[in-house]
Amino acid sequence: MGDKILEFVDITRSFFGVKALEKINLQLKEGEIFGLIGENGAGKSTLMNILGGILPQDEGCMLLDTQEYKPGGPSDASAAGIEFIHQELNLFMNLTVAENIYIHNFPTMQGTPIIRKREIIKRAKDLLESLGMEIQPTALLETLAPGERQMVEIAKALSMDARIYIFDEPTTSLTAKETTGLFNILKRLRNEGKTIIYISHILGDVEDLADSVAVLRDGKVMGSGPIQDFSIDKMISLMVGGSFKQIFPEKKSIPQKEKLLEIQELSQSGTVKDINFSLHKGEILGVFGLMGAGRTEMARMVFGVDPYSDGEVYIEGEKLPKSNPMASIEKGLAFVTEDRREEGLLMDVPIVDNLGMVALPDFCRNYTKIVNGKQLNEEAEHVSERLHLKATNLDVMPAKSLSGGNQQKVVIGKWLLKTPRVLIMDEPTRGIDVGAKYEVFNIINDLADKGAGILMISSEVEELIGVCDRIVVMSRGEIMDVFEKEKFTQEAIMRSAFRQGMIATATEGDEDEIK
Amino acid sequence: MNLKLPWHSKSAEPYTLRDLPRRVLLSEYFVLYLTIVYVILLLPFIPWLLNPMNIKNILSNAWPLLALAMGQTFVLIVIGVPDLSQTSIMALTSVVGAVVMSNYFDPVLFSKSPLWGSLIAENGGIFAGTSLATLGGVVVMLSVGLLIGLFNGISVALFKMPPFMVTLVGWNLWAAIATFLPKSENIRHLPEGFVAIGSGNIGPISIAMLVALLLAVSGHFVLSKTLFGKRVYATGLNPKAAKVCGIPTKRIIIAVYMVSGLCAAVGSILYSARLEMGRPTMGSTLLLDIIGANIIAGISLYGGKGKVSWTFFGVFFFIILANSLNHLNLPFYMIDIVKGSIICLAAVLDVVRTRASERRVYT
Amino acid sequence: MKSNRVLRMVLDNTTFVIFVLLFIVFGLLAPRFFSVKNFENIISSASYIGILAVGVTFVLLTGGIDISLGSNMYLSAVVFGLLLNNAELPFVISLIGCLATGLLVGSINAFIVTKLKVVPFITTLVTMTVAFGFGILLTKSTAVNFPDSITLMSTHKVLGFIPLHIFIFVCVVLVASVYLGYTKPGRQLYAVGNNEESAKKAGIKTVPLIAHAYMISGVCAALGGFVSITQIGRVNANFGEGIEFQAIAAAILGGASLFGGIGTVFPGTVLGTIMVQMIQAGLIFIDVDIYLQPIVQALIIFGAVLIDSFRITQLKKLERRHIMKV
Repeated sequence: MGDKILEFVDITRSFFGVKALEKINLQLKEGEIFGLIGENGAGKSTLMNILGGILPQDEGCMLLDTQEYKPGGPSDASAAGIEFIHQELNLFMNLTVAENIYIHNFPTMQGTPIIRKREIIKRAKDLLESLGMEIQPTALLETLAPGERQMVEIAKALSMDARIYIFDEPTTSLTAKETTGLFNILKRLRNEGKTIIYISHILGDVEDLADSVAVLRDGKVMGSGPIQDFSIDKMISLMVGGSFKQIFPEKKSIPQKEKLLEIQELSQSGTVKDINFSLHKGEILGVFGLMGAGRTEMARMVFGVDPYSDGEVYIEGEKLPKSNPMASIEKGLAFVTEDRREEGLLMDVPIVDNLGMVALPDFCRNYTKIVNGKQLNEEAEHVSERLHLKATNLDVMPAKSLSGGNQQKVVIGKWLLKTPRVLIMDEPTRGIDVGAKYEVFNIINDLADKGAGILMISSEVEELIGVCDRIVVMSRGEIMDVFEKEKFTQEAIMRSAFRQGMIATATEGDEDEIK
Repeated sequence: MNLKLPWHSKSAEPYTLRDLPRRVLLSEYFVLYLTIVYVILLLPFIPWLLNPMNIKNILSNAWPLLALAMGQTFVLIVIGVPDLSQTSIMALTSVVGAVVMSNYFDPVLFSKSPLWGSLIAENGGIFAGTSLATLGGVVVMLSVGLLIGLFNGISVALFKMPPFMVTLVGWNLWAAIATFLPKSENIRHLPEGFVAIGSGNIGPISIAMLVALLLAVSGHFVLSKTLFGKRVYATGLNPKAAKVCGIPTKRIIIAVYMVSGLCAAVGSILYSARLEMGRPTMGSTLLLDIIGANIIAGISLYGGKGKVSWTFFGVFFFIILANSLNHLNLPFYMIDIVKGSIICLAAVLDVVRTRASERRVYT
Repeated sequence: MKSNRVLRMVLDNTTFVIFVLLFIVFGLLAPRFFSVKNFENIISSASYIGILAVGVTFVLLTGGIDISLGSNMYLSAVVFGLLLNNAELPFVISLIGCLATGLLVGSINAFIVTKLKVVPFITTLVTMTVAFGFGILLTKSTAVNFPDSITLMSTHKVLGFIPLHIFIFVCVVLVASVYLGYTKPGRQLYAVGNNEESAKKAGIKTVPLIAHAYMISGVCAALGGFVSITQIGRVNANFGEGIEFQAIAAAILGGASLFGGIGTVFPGTVLGTIMVQMIQAGLIFIDVDIYLQPIVQALIIFGAVLIDSFRITQLKKLERRHIMKV
C-alpha cells in the first residue's frame, strides 16, 4: 500500500431535509482494496455517487492526491481516473462484447470515423484474457449468460485504466468460478497500485479481499481501519442499533392460530426458490432482507402481478390462481407497491378517484355500471378521516399535491376501501416523515386487531422489530430464517440477512447460535 | 356544461394578469376559445361564414367527423397512438353495407367482382328489396367495424404489436379489400330507408345530427360516468398501476379499439347515406381531420387525457377552419399545409403542457 | 430444449426463412418465374424502393418511423424538375437542389423529433402533408416532364454492363453498410436504438445521432425519386404515393425491428426490398388479380411485424434480473 490517494473530508448530503450522509471522513491509499459496507440506506450509494460525480455534496470536500476534487459530472470523474462499475448493467444487447467495451471511445482510422475492428477485437481479447475471462470478443451480448455480461461490464471499466475503481455488488450474477476470477483480477490490480472500493453484502468476501474497511450506518462512519481489526461479528454489530427516534404504537391483539395465507414452495428460476411460509389471522409478518434479496419479487408473485413457475399460494385453504391480480383482489388480497409514483397512484388525478381505483366496481349500480359518485365521495371521506389524511377538496385536488406521507395514505386507503383479508405492503414507510409513519403503524395494528393478516416488507430492522409479530429474513431469493417475537434482536436478524455470503465461513458453533 | 374559465380555477396559486395567456393555453377549453377568436377575426373577411346556408354546410360535414373523432378519442386516451385504420374501416363498411343493401348491380360494372353470383347479382344484394334491408345493412356495417376493432385490439393487447404499425397496415389492408370487392366501382341504388339517414329530418333536426350527437353523448357519458370510463383513463395514465389495482388492461385496450371501429362504421353510415352510395375510397382524405381534431382539442398523445366534449369542439374548429379557408379560395393543398402546421403546433403544445404538469410535482 | 433452439434460429433468421419460402412457393406455382431476365427486371424496379428502404432503415434503428418518404420524394422531384426545366440550371446543380430538398425535409423531421420532442409518427405525418402540399403548390397540380437527357440515363450502363439505377442502389447499400457496420456513429446508432438511456450514460451524444438518421432518410427519399424519374420520365401528383409503406415493409421484411436497435442494410434491407418486388412480380406472374396484391402485401407485412413483436417479447423475458446465487 502506498500513499494517500483519496480523502473524504466532512462530506454531508441531505435529501428533502433528511441527512443521508453526515460528516463522512475517510482516507484511502494507493494500491489497496477498501471495503465499504453497511445495510440498506446506510449511505454507501450516496457516497459513491458523490465520488463518481453523479451528485454533489452539500458540505465538505474530496481530495484527490491532496488536490481538491470536485467533479461536475460523471465524465469529470472518468477524466480524473475514477471509474464506477454499477450494479445495473449499462450494456447493449445488440452489439458485440468488443463494441460494448469501446462504445464511447472507439479507436478509428486516421481522419475517418471507420472503426479499427481488428484492433478492438484484439484489445478486447487481450483484456478479457488478462482478466481470466473466456468470453469471445465477437460474441453478441445477448447471447451471454448474466454472469458473463457482468464480467463484460467489469472489463469495460477496467479498459479505462483508471486509478480508482468502485465496484458496487459485482458478484451478484457471477458463478463461483467467475467470482474467483474477479478476485484474482482485483488483487492483481491492487498489487499494481490501483485503489479499489469494494461494496458488498457478502461479508465473507470483504473479509477475504479487503485491506481496509469502513462500516457505515445512518450516514455516519461507525468504524474504519485495517481489515484485521474487524471480524464479521464486529462488522455486523457496528451496522445495527442506529440512533432511533421512532416510537411504535402498542399492538393490542395477538395473532390467531388460523392460517390466512399459505405459500408453498414458490419458485421462479433465477429469482426465488422454495419460498415457504404462512401468514395467520391478526398477524403482522415482517419480511426483511438486503436490497436485491428478492422480497419485492416474491410479493409480486404472490399477489399475481408477476408469474411464477412452481409452487402454490393458498388463501384460507383455497388455491389462489397465479398471475391474476383481479382474482387476488376478489379473494381479499391487497398490495401496496414499493414505488407509489410508478405503480401506486395516478398523480394528476383527483384524490377521490385514486382512492376509488380498486373498489370502484363496488360503487357501481348493478347493471348499468354507472359510478355512484356520491357514495364514492362519502366512503372516500370516511377512509380519509380514518387515515388522518390531511387534504381538502378530495374530488378536485390531484394526488401530486399531497406530501409523501399523505400520498402513501391514499395508496393504503384505496385498498382499505376493499376491506382486505391480507394486506401485502412493500416498503410502506419509505420516504415519509416520523409522524406519518406512526400513523401508518396504527393503521396496520388496527387492521390486525380486526383479524386481517399483514405482510410487511421493510429494509429497516428497527421498524420491523417494533411492529411485527414474526419476521422472515430473505437473502438471494431464498428464505434464510423465521424469527419469533421473543428472538427479535437486531444483530441476529441482520446476521441472517447477510448469511448467504457467510455460509462458506460459518463454523458449526456459529450456526447453532443463529438458530 | 361546467365551463371552467381561466379565472375560475380552484388552484391555490395566486392569479395575475400575466398568468392569463398561460392559463388559456393550458385550459381544457382552449380549442373553444380558439374557435371563437378565429371566427371573430375572420368575420370581417368572410361575412358569409355565419350565413345559415353555410352553417348548414358546416354542420352536415361535422356530424360524421364527430362520430369518427370520438372513436379516435377513446383509443388516444388509452394508447396515445392514433388508430390509423379508421378511414379504411369506413371504406370497407361502406362497401360491405352497400353490397348487402343495394337493389341493383349493373352487370357491366360488377360482373368482374369476386362477389358476383354469390353475394351480389343483378337484382341486388342479399337484403335487397326486403323491408329489413336498411336495418340489415346497418347491422352488417356496425359488425364489420366492431370486428376490425377486435382484430386491432387483439394485435396490440395480446400480441404486443406496435399500435401504429398494426393500424398502419390496417389502413392499407381494409382499403385494399374495400377496393377489391366492387372492383373500384361505387355501389348505388341503396334503399330509401338508408338514404333517409343521410338527408332526412325529424322536424328541424337532421337524422345525421341526431345519430352523431347520440353517439357523442353516449361516449361522453360512458367515459365520465361509468366504471369502464374510469378504467379507460386509469389504463391510459398508468397501465402498471391499473394492472395492480385489478383493472383488466388487455380487455380495456381491445374494447377501445372496438369502439373506434364502431364509430368508424357509424361515420361510414352517415357518409354513405348522404352520398347515397357505397364508396371504396371513402374517407381517404379524412385522417388528417380526425387526428387533427383530437390533438387540437387537447387529447394528449401521451395518453390518459381527454374528454369527448373537447373532441366536440376540436371537430368544429377543424370544420370551420376548412370551411373558411375554402371561402378564402385557398387551394386544397394549401388547406392541407395549414392543417398540417396546426397539427404540428398542437402536438408541440401537447408536449409543453405535459412537461409543465410534470414539473409541478410536490414530493 | 430442442424446440426452443429451433425457434430461436427461425426468429434470428426470419428474413432468410421467408425468402426461401417465397422462392419455393413461386417456384412451384410458376417455374417460368425463375428466369434471369425476370430477376433483372425485379432488381431494376426494386432499385429506387431499395434506396428509400435503406434510408428508412436508419430511422427504424433509432426506434422511430418516417412516413413522409413519399411526399418528400415528390417534392424533391418537383424541385429537381423546376431547377432543370424552368430555371434551366445544369444537371448537377439541379440534382444537388433535389437532394438538398430531401435533406431539408429530413432535417425538419429531425428537428421536430429531437428538439420539439413530438413523436416521430405525428411529426412525419405532418411533414408528409406539408411537403406534398408544397409540391402541388409549386406545380399547380400539373405534371412535370423531364427531357430525354434524363430518361436516357436509365439506359446508361456503368462499366459497360451495370444499369445506372442498380449501380446507384449498390453504391447506397455499400456506403450505408460500411457506415452502419464499421464506423463509430454507425455502431453508436445501434446502441441508441437498443437503449437510449444507457447510451446517454455511456456518454454517447444521442441527439445528433437520432437527428442524422432522419436526415439520411430524407436524402435517400430524394435520391430514390431521382432514380425513379430516370425510369419513368415524368412526375405527377401520384409520384411516390404510398411508397413509404413499401419501403418500411422492405426494411421490416429484411429484419429491421420497429422497436429499434435491430436491422442491417446488407443483407437485411436489400433482401427485404427484393422480396417486396418479388412478391409483386410473382403475383402478376401467377395471374393473381391485381386488386389482391396490396392485400397480400399487407398480410405479409402484418406477419413480419407479428414475428418481430414476438421476438422482442422473448428477448425482454431473457433480460429479467437474476437474483439467485448461480
